[in-house]
Amino acid sequence: MPSPRFPIPQGTLDMLILQILSLEPAHGYGIAQRLEQISRSVVQVNQGSLYPALHRLHQRGWLRAGWKQSETGREAKFYSLTAAGRRQLAAEKDSWARLSGAVNLVFEEGSR
Amino acid sequence: MIRLFNWLRRGSLERGLDRELQYHFDRRVADLAAAGISEPEARRRVAVELGIAHVHEEVRDVWLTRWLRDFLYDLRFSVRSFLRSPSFTAITLLSLALGIGATTAIYSLVDQVILHALPVREPERLVLVDWNGDDLITYATGSLNLMPYPICRALQQQTRFLDGVLCRAEIEVNLTAGGDPRPVAAEIVNGSYFPVLGVGPALGRVIEPEDDTAPGAGPVVVLSYDFWQAQFGGAADIVGRKVLIGSHPMTVVGVAAAGFRGVDVGAVPAFWIPTSMYADANFDTGDEDLLNGHTRWLQIFARLRSDVTLTQARTGLQPWFKAWLQDSALRPAFPRISADHRREYLATTLELTSAPQGHSPLRHSLSQPLWLLFAATGVLLSLACLNVAGLFLARGSARGREIGTRLALGASRGRIGRQLLADSLLLAVTGGVLGAAAAPMAIRWLIAFLPHELAANAVRDTLSLRLLTFAFIASLAAGIFSGLAPALRAGGDGLVSSLRERGGTGFGGVRLRKAIVTLQVAFSLILLIGAALFLRTLTSLLAKGPGFDTSGILSFTIAPTQNGYSDADASRLVRRLDERVRALPAARSSAAARFAFLNGGAWSNEVTMQTDRRAVTDGIINFNAVSPGFFSTLGVRLLAGRDFDKSDALPVGEIGPRCAIVNEAFVKRYLAGRDPLGVLIARGGGSDVKPNSRIVGVVADMSYRGVRDHSEQVFFPLFEHDDTGATFYIKVRGAPEQAIPSIRRLVRQHDPRLPILWFRTLDDQVNRSLTTERLLAALSGSFGALALLLSLIGLYGVMSFVVTRRSREIGIRLALGATGASAIRLVLRDAVAMIAAGMAIALPCVAALGKLIQSQLFGVTATDPATVAAAALVLAVGALAAAFIPAWRASNVSPMDALRLE
Repeated sequence: MPSPRFPIPQGTLDMLILQILSLEPAHGYGIAQRLEQISRSVVQVNQGSLYPALHRLHQRGWLRAGWKQSETGREAKFYSLTAAGRRQLAAEKDSWARLSGAVNLVFEEGSR
Repeated sequence: MIRLFNWLRRGSLERGLDRELQYHFDRRVADLAAAGISEPEARRRVAVELGIAHVHEEVRDVWLTRWLRDFLYDLRFSVRSFLRSPSFTAITLLSLALGIGATTAIYSLVDQVILHALPVREPERLVLVDWNGDDLITYATGSLNLMPYPICRALQQQTRFLDGVLCRAEIEVNLTAGGDPRPVAAEIVNGSYFPVLGVGPALGRVIEPEDDTAPGAGPVVVLSYDFWQAQFGGAADIVGRKVLIGSHPMTVVGVAAAGFRGVDVGAVPAFWIPTSMYADANFDTGDEDLLNGHTRWLQIFARLRSDVTLTQARTGLQPWFKAWLQDSALRPAFPRISADHRREYLATTLELTSAPQGHSPLRHSLSQPLWLLFAATGVLLSLACLNVAGLFLARGSARGREIGTRLALGASRGRIGRQLLADSLLLAVTGGVLGAAAAPMAIRWLIAFLPHELAANAVRDTLSLRLLTFAFIASLAAGIFSGLAPALRAGGDGLVSSLRERGGTGFGGVRLRKAIVTLQVAFSLILLIGAALFLRTLTSLLAKGPGFDTSGILSFTIAPTQNGYSDADASRLVRRLDERVRALPAARSSAAARFAFLNGGAWSNEVTMQTDRRAVTDGIINFNAVSPGFFSTLGVRLLAGRDFDKSDALPVGEIGPRCAIVNEAFVKRYLAGRDPLGVLIARGGGSDVKPNSRIVGVVADMSYRGVRDHSEQVFFPLFEHDDTGATFYIKVRGAPEQAIPSIRRLVRQHDPRLPILWFRTLDDQVNRSLTTERLLAALSGSFGALALLLSLIGLYGVMSFVVTRRSREIGIRLALGATGASAIRLVLRDAVAMIAAGMAIALPCVAALGKLIQSQLFGVTATDPATVAAAALVLAVGALAAAFIPAWRASNVSPMDALRLE
C-alpha cells in the first residue's frame, strides 16, 4: 500500500519538535499527536524516530526533561525548551526561511 | 565526558526510556481502542509502528556514540576473557608493570634532578651570567661561575635587556636556635633575589633590597618552608625570633613560600641571609668590602625581558660590558700584566646561558648517568612489550577458532583488530597502574644510591601529576606497541583455513614471533653488555682503591671559623688538636690535612717550576697541605727524600720560606729525567710568581677528588701560615667505632660548642665517593638480568610453539628412522638462527653506543672484546638452554601419537 504522505525530510524533525515545545511543554506521545495534527497528515513521522531525536536534543542541552503527572493521571516524561533551545529554534527558523525563500525564487524563475 | 558519565548510569537511563516508551505505547493502544480497534490488534499495530527494540538501539547511540559503546563493550569483553586465563594475565601484567614501574621510577629522578624547572615565576626566562676574563689574570680555574658583586649591581641598570638581576652564593654556617650549634647549608642572596624570582613569603616577609644596602645592614634571616616545618615544627610565632648565625645574632623575619628550595638542586638551603651580612657567613675577605670589591664570590642570574631573546641580550650587553672591563683594568689594584695579556683580557665577553633549572654542578655530573639509565629502562620496557606481543600472538593462535567464527558471523576485521587492541590497552593501563603504584618504592630504593646532598633534600619519592602523566603515556605506548602486531594480524589467515584447522594449532604468526624474539635477543644483549661494563668499572675502581690504606682509619673535619673563631684562633685550635689527637691511646698515628680527600673538591692551580729554566705546568695541579706523619698514617709510600717534620711549621700567622712534597705523577710529567729533590716551585702561573718552595720529597700517587682521580699533586706543610680548618685522619687501634667517643670527648674538651663534621671511616668515604658507579652498576645489572629473563621466556615460548606445530612432521621423521639427536638439531637450528641474528643486530649498536658511555667507564673500553664476549656467551648459553627444553620434548615425540593427531 503506497503511502500518500511524505517521509519527513532529514533534519526537519528536530526543528518541528523544538517548535512544538516552544508553545508548551509536552511528553513524547503528546508531541507525536501534535505532529500529526499540525502537519495535517501530510508529513509522515515515524513514531520510532521521535525518541532518539528527543534524547539527542536533550543531550545537546536544548531541552530539559522531567517526570510529571499527565492529563490521564499517570506520570509521563515532559520535555520543555531551554534558553539554548529557544535560540536554536530561532536560528533554524531563520535558515529555513532563507532556504525555502531561495528555493521559491528558483521555482518562480523557472515558471516565468 | 558526558558520554562516559552516561555509561556509568546506563542502568537508570534504560529504565527511564522503558517507562517513557511504555507510556507512549499504552496511550496509543488506548486511543486506538477508543477508535474501535480490538485491543490485541491495537497492540500489534502499535508494536510495529513504534519498533521498541530499534528505538532502544538508536537512543543508546545517542547516549554513547557508537565507537565509544563498542569500545566499552570490548573492554568488558577483554576483562572477562582475561579473568578466564589468570596465568596469562598475571605474566603479562607483571612484565608490563615491571617495565613501566622501572621506567617511571627512573623518569622521576630524571625529572627531579635534570628537567624540573625552578618553582618560580617564568623560569624559562632565567639566565646564568658568567664571565671567565678574571681567570686570565688570576689563573684561577673551576670558578663555579662566580662573579664580583659590583657586576650584579651594574647589570641591574641594563633594563633594556634584563627584567631584574639577582646574585647568590651557597654557604655553610653554624646555626644556633635554642640548642647546640650545628652546621647548616644556607644561601646568601642579594635584595633582589626573591622579587626577581617572584617568590613570596609563606609567613612574615622575604629579604628585600633595604636589607642589602651596606655591609652589616640587614641582620635578618628568612627560613625555608621545609626547615621551618622540620626544625621549628611550623611554629606560628617564628617571626621575630632571634637565632645565632656563627656567633652573630640575627632575627628571623619570615618563611619563604612552600616548595621553593633555592636555585641549586644539589644544595638546598635551610635559610637565606642578605649579601650585606657576608662577614657573618665566613667569607674570608681580609679588609675588602665585598659589596664593592672585585672578589668573585657570587653567581649571577638575570631575568630576560619578555621581548628580548637570549642572543639579543648577549650581543646587546657587550658594549656596556666592554666599558666595564676597561674601567676595571684601570683600577689601582689591577694586576700588572703584559700588553698581550691585557688585550686578551679586554676581549673577553659576558656569557649568558639559559638556566630555567637554576644552577647545579651536581645535576651536571649526574645527568649523563641518569639519561643512560633512562634509555636502559626504555629498552627494558620495549622488551616487556615485545614479550607481551609474543604472548598475544600465542594467545591469538589459541583463539583462532573463536576469531574465525566471529569473522564468519560477519564481524569486520577492523572490529576484531580493535578488540585485540582493547585487550592490550587494558593490560597495559592496568600494568601501568601497578607500575605507578610500585614506583615510589623503587624511587626510595634508587635514592639510596644518590649522592647524599641530593638524596637528603632535593629528591622526593612521591608521585606527582607529571609522573602519573608520564606513566600513563608510557602505558598507552606500551599497549599500542604490544597490541599492534597481533591486531594487524587478526584474521590475516584465510577464514576458511582457520575454521578448518583443529584446536591447538591455528594461525600463529610464527615468522612474526621469531622476529620479535630476535629483537629481544638484540635488546637484552645490549643491556647485558652495558651491565658487564659498569660492573667491571666498579670492580676495577674498588680494586684500584684510593692508593692508600683505608682500613682502620677515621676522619673528621672541624671548621672553627664558621663558629666565629678568628683566623689566628682557629689555627691555634687546629694545631692543638693535632697534637692531642696524636697522643690519644686509641690512635696508632694521626695527621691533619687542610682539605678533605675523596669528597669531590680540590684546591688547585698551575705550578711554576724553577729548574735550569723557568716553566709553568700546562695543566692544573691539585694541592693540599698536610701535617707531619700524614703519608705514613695513610700508608702512602715515600719514594724519595723526606716527610715534613716539626721544623717545617711556622708560628701562627707567619708566612715564610716553604718546602713541598710532590707525587710520582707530577715527577713523571714535569720533572722526568732529573732529580726532583731541591727543585723550587710555587703555586700559580703568573709572571709575578716566585718559585720559593723547595721539593723535599716524592710520594706514591693517591686519589684526591675521588677514586677515579689520577692527578699530579703537590703537598705543602700544614701550619705554614693560617690554617683555619682541617680534616683529621686517625689510624686507630682496634675497631674504629670504639675510638669515636674518645675523639668526641677530646674535641668537646677544647670547645663544647664546636660541631664535628663528617665523622666517618675512610672505607665509608671511599664507598660514598663511588655512588654514581654503584648506581650504574646496580641498576644496569638488574636491568640486564631482567632483560635476559624476559628474552629467555620469549624464546622458550616461541620454540615450544614451533615444536607443537611441527610435532607431526617430527613424528613422521622419527617414524622414518631419524634419531632423537637429529630432531634436537632440527629445533635448535631455528633457535641458533634467532640468537645469531639478534647478536648481529646488537653488536653494531654497542659499537655505536660505546662512545656515549665511555666517559662513565674506568679501566675498560666500551667495546672491550672480553666483556662483550662474556656477555654474549652468557646470553648464548641461557638462550640455548631455554631452547633446549622444547627441543628435548621434540626428540621424545612418539611417532604413533603424532600421527594419531591427524
